[in-house]
Amino acid sequence: MNREDNKIVAFCCEHSAYQVANKAGKMRLHYPDNVRIIRVPCAGRVDVQHILKAFEKGAAGVLVMGCQEGACQHLTGNTRAKERVKYAEDLLKEVGIDGGRVKMVNLAPDMAQRFIREVKEMTEKIEGR
Amino acid sequence: MQVRIGIFICDCGKSLSNIDFPKVKERVEKFQEVVYVDLSSSLCLEESREKIVSIIRERDINRVVIAGCAPELKENVFGKVIEEAGLNCNFLSMANIREQCSWAHESDVTNKALELVRMAASKARFLQPVEKKDMPVNKQVLVVGGGFSGMKSALELSGLGLRTTLVEEEAVLGGKLGEFEGFYGIETTPEEMLSSMRKAVEENGDIEVFTSAEIARVEGQAGDFTIRIRRGEDKLSRSCGAIIFATGYMTEILPQDFQLKPDVNIISRRKLVEMLQAPGELERRPGTIGFVLDVSDENSRLPILSTLNNALAVKERLGSEVYVFCKSLKVDSEGVEKLYREARERGVVFLKFEEKPRISKKDGRVKVEARDVLLGEEVTLLCDFLVAEEKVLPPEGTEALSSMLNIGTDSAGFYQDENVHLYPVASERKGIFFVGGCKGDLDFTRISTDISSATMSIYKLLSPEKVMVEVEKVKVEPEKCRACLTCVRVCPHGAIQMVRVDTEKEVAKIYDLACDGCGICAAICPAKAIRFEGYADEQILAEVEAIGESL
Repeated sequence: MNREDNKIVAFCCEHSAYQVANKAGKMRLHYPDNVRIIRVPCAGRVDVQHILKAFEKGAAGVLVMGCQEGACQHLTGNTRAKERVKYAEDLLKEVGIDGGRVKMVNLAPDMAQRFIREVKEMTEKIEGR
Repeated sequence: MQVRIGIFICDCGKSLSNIDFPKVKERVEKFQEVVYVDLSSSLCLEESREKIVSIIRERDINRVVIAGCAPELKENVFGKVIEEAGLNCNFLSMANIREQCSWAHESDVTNKALELVRMAASKARFLQPVEKKDMPVNKQVLVVGGGFSGMKSALELSGLGLRTTLVEEEAVLGGKLGEFEGFYGIETTPEEMLSSMRKAVEENGDIEVFTSAEIARVEGQAGDFTIRIRRGEDKLSRSCGAIIFATGYMTEILPQDFQLKPDVNIISRRKLVEMLQAPGELERRPGTIGFVLDVSDENSRLPILSTLNNALAVKERLGSEVYVFCKSLKVDSEGVEKLYREARERGVVFLKFEEKPRISKKDGRVKVEARDVLLGEEVTLLCDFLVAEEKVLPPEGTEALSSMLNIGTDSAGFYQDENVHLYPVASERKGIFFVGGCKGDLDFTRISTDISSATMSIYKLLSPEKVMVEVEKVKVEPEKCRACLTCVRVCPHGAIQMVRVDTEKEVAKIYDLACDGCGICAAICPAKAIRFEGYADEQILAEVEAIGESL
C-alpha cells in the first residue's frame, strides 16, 4: 500500500481530544504520522458531510473524537456526534466502505495512551494488518 | 477583496529537527494566493511580533497563517499581533506543527508539516471578520426562593453592590431552615439565624421582596432577562441580568420505601425536633430511640447530617440510648466525620446493615431486626421511638420550571450538579445559577460555598455593566432559515430564539452573549442556514480537501 493512501482524518474536540493530541506530543509518545487532526469546537460540530468529504478526498479512515459521555462541555455534543457517526457509517456501508472505517471515540483530556491506541488500531485496520 | 495570505513558520528555536524547514518554505511559497512566507526561529518573541506587524502592513497581507506550536498556547497572542497590524483578529489560521507533528513522530515528517500548513492556508482563504462589541447588561439580579439559600444569595449580592428582587412562594421568608434542631458546633440556632437574616433582608434597601409570589415566565438571555411574576391576581414584570434559583427541596415524611405506617412510635425527623424542643411535655423519658437511614437514598447528605445532630441532641437532652441503623454513613461533608466520632464517644451505637431491617410492633414498642454485617449477627432492638429518615425530593414545580427554562435535571429530578464542565453552580444557560436544596445536595457548608461562588460569578458577569462579545460569530442567515425550530430545540445553552423579521416570517436568532460556541446548531440545521465563523462548513471542508491534494 502506498504510504499516501492510508490517511486518517481526526476531527478533535478542542475541549478534550485536541488537547489529548497535544499532550501525546508533549510526552513524545509517538504514533503513526498518517493522522491529520482538524480542530472543532465540539464533536457536535462535525456533520455527516464533513465525514463523507474526507472519504471523497481519499481518506482511508475518519475518527471523530469528543469528550467522554456525560462530560461534554455542551452537554449533548458528543452524543449527537455519535449518532452522526453511526449515520455516516451506514451510508458508507451502502457504498461498500467497511463500516469500521469511521469511528466515534470518547476521550478525557488526559487519555493520551488511548488516543494513540485508537490511531494505531485504525491504521492497522486500514493497512489490513 | 483579493485574498493575500502571509505564512509565518516557526521552527521553535531549531528544535524541530525532523522537519526540513527550507523545503517546507520552498513548497509553501508555491501555494495559491500566498504572497509571503517567513521562516523564523522564535515567532513568539517580542521582536518577531513587531516584524510580523510590519510585514503584514508592507505586503498588504489580509490572511495570516502561523505554523508553530499548539494554538491554545499562542492563539490569543497572535490574534492581538494581527489586530495591531490592522487586521481583524479572526483572520488568523494556525497550523500545529510542533505538538501534533514534529514531537509526535520520530521519523522525518516534512510532508506532514507541509500538509498541515496547506490545511491552515486553505482554511484561511475562507475566513471572515468577526467584530467585537461591548454589550450592555442589566445589573439587577432575580433570586427565586426565600429560604436560607435565597436570602443568603440576596444578601451577598447586595454586599457586592448588586440590587436584587427576591421572590418567595410562601407568605413569609424562611423556607425549611426552621425545621432543623440545630447544627452541632454552630452556636446560633436555626431560628436565630432565620430571624437575623429575615431582618437583614427586610431592612436592606437593595433587596425588593415579593412573598406569596411565583415566577410565571422567564424570557430573554443572559444580561437581559424579562421575568413575569404572579402574585395572587397581580401580574408584575421585572428585568434582570442574571437569575439565581434557590427553590429548595421537599421531603417525603415516611418514604414508601420503608413500607411503614405512621404511628405514635414511628415518627419523622420533624416530630423528633418538636419533642427535643419541648422535652418537658413528654409523658416519660424515652429509654431507647432508634434511627433508620439510607433505605431510600444513599447519596443525600441531609439525612446523615440531621441524624447525627439529632442523635447528639437526644443524648444531651433526653439521655436515651441511641441506635442508628445505616447502610453506609457518608462523612465527606465538612465536620461530619468529627460529628460522627463525637456521637460514638457519647455512646451512640451504629449498626451497619446490608439488607433492609425488618420493622414490626411489639408490646407498644417498635421492634427492629437487622443483620449487622460487622458483627455478623442478627440484632434485635426494641425501641420506644423509631425515627424514620425523610426522603429528600425536588420541590413541586421543578419539572415545569426546568422545561420553561430549557434546563435539564438529574435522574432524581434535581437540577443537575454533575457536569464537571459547568462548575458547581452554573447551568447550561449563561446567567442562570442554581444553589441550595434544589440541587439535591444539602450539606450546609457546601451550600454556603456554592452561594458565594454563584454570587461571584454574577458579579463578574454583571458588574462591568457591559460585556465584550464577538458579534455574530455564530449567525443565522435569515434568507435561508425555514423556521423549523431544530436549532432552538437542540441548542444546549438555550441561546437561540425566534424573532419576527416581518409580518410573514419568523427566523431563528442566536444571542451572542448566551452562545457558548459549540456549533451543534450549525451541524444540525437542515437548511444549512447557520454559519459558525472559524468553523464554517466551507472552512472545515477546505481543511479536509487540503488533505486530499497531492503535494
